[in-house]
Amino acid sequence: MQDIIEREIIIKATKEQIYDAIAKPDQVVLWFPETLEGNYTINEQPIFGFGENGKNQVYIVDAKPHSYFAYRWLPGANNFLGDVLSVPNTLVEFHIVELGEDSCKVTVKESGFKTLSADYMEQALEQNSKGWNFMLGRLVKYIETR
Amino acid sequence: MIEAQIYKALGDPVRLEMVAKLAKGSSCTIGELSSNLGISRQGARKQIQVLVSANVVRLVPQGRETQVVLNTEKLKVAKMFISKLETEWDQRLHALKSFAEGQNRN
Repeated sequence: MQDIIEREIIIKATKEQIYDAIAKPDQVVLWFPETLEGNYTINEQPIFGFGENGKNQVYIVDAKPHSYFAYRWLPGANNFLGDVLSVPNTLVEFHIVELGEDSCKVTVKESGFKTLSADYMEQALEQNSKGWNFMLGRLVKYIETR
Repeated sequence: MIEAQIYKALGDPVRLEMVAKLAKGSSCTIGELSSNLGISRQGARKQIQVLVSANVVRLVPQGRETQVVLNTEKLKVAKMFISKLETEWDQRLHALKSFAEGQNRN
């Protein structure tokens, strides 16, 4: 099974601006979680709030201005409150690399999917979007009644 | 996202007809699935590709033919989970980009 997700994007902003957007509690809530409770600093476990979609406690692993920020969490879960390090989790790392004047490449790498159980992933999928089985169940019903 | 993708994949009469055909039997070859739909073979092939991309069906080569199989089993869970998270990260990175670039305009 795939253990790592890696995505990247080019952003026309300085590395300071991008780092602050990720690492400053008053800025990160403007594009990622809707709310942030607790201390958003290394070794702390603040809570990301996603409105009706739940709350997720995260563990801040590292923060190096203006190039690196990392945290651990339970991906895809609707809700997780508790000690992130006590359960299987993934590591999310942001890397900011300057390309030229006011342009940077931002890479996000999430790793550790192999530590998650199939049951966990199935539950997370089902919680989030009743998804495939639900849709297929409805489809089969629809077809049978035609 | 997965749900939206599946809805989108099925939100077309031809594709729905294809899935209905597959749901009634076990599997069809691409040729069998493409017949009697009132569209060209090439058009049918394109619609099948949409279903493949949404993980609704998968293609299984069998000799000179290719079987189209409905994805009913749960084996795809891990793959679906990962692809859903990849989509989420793409959306978040775009949100970060809009936010960070927007600051320069202010």
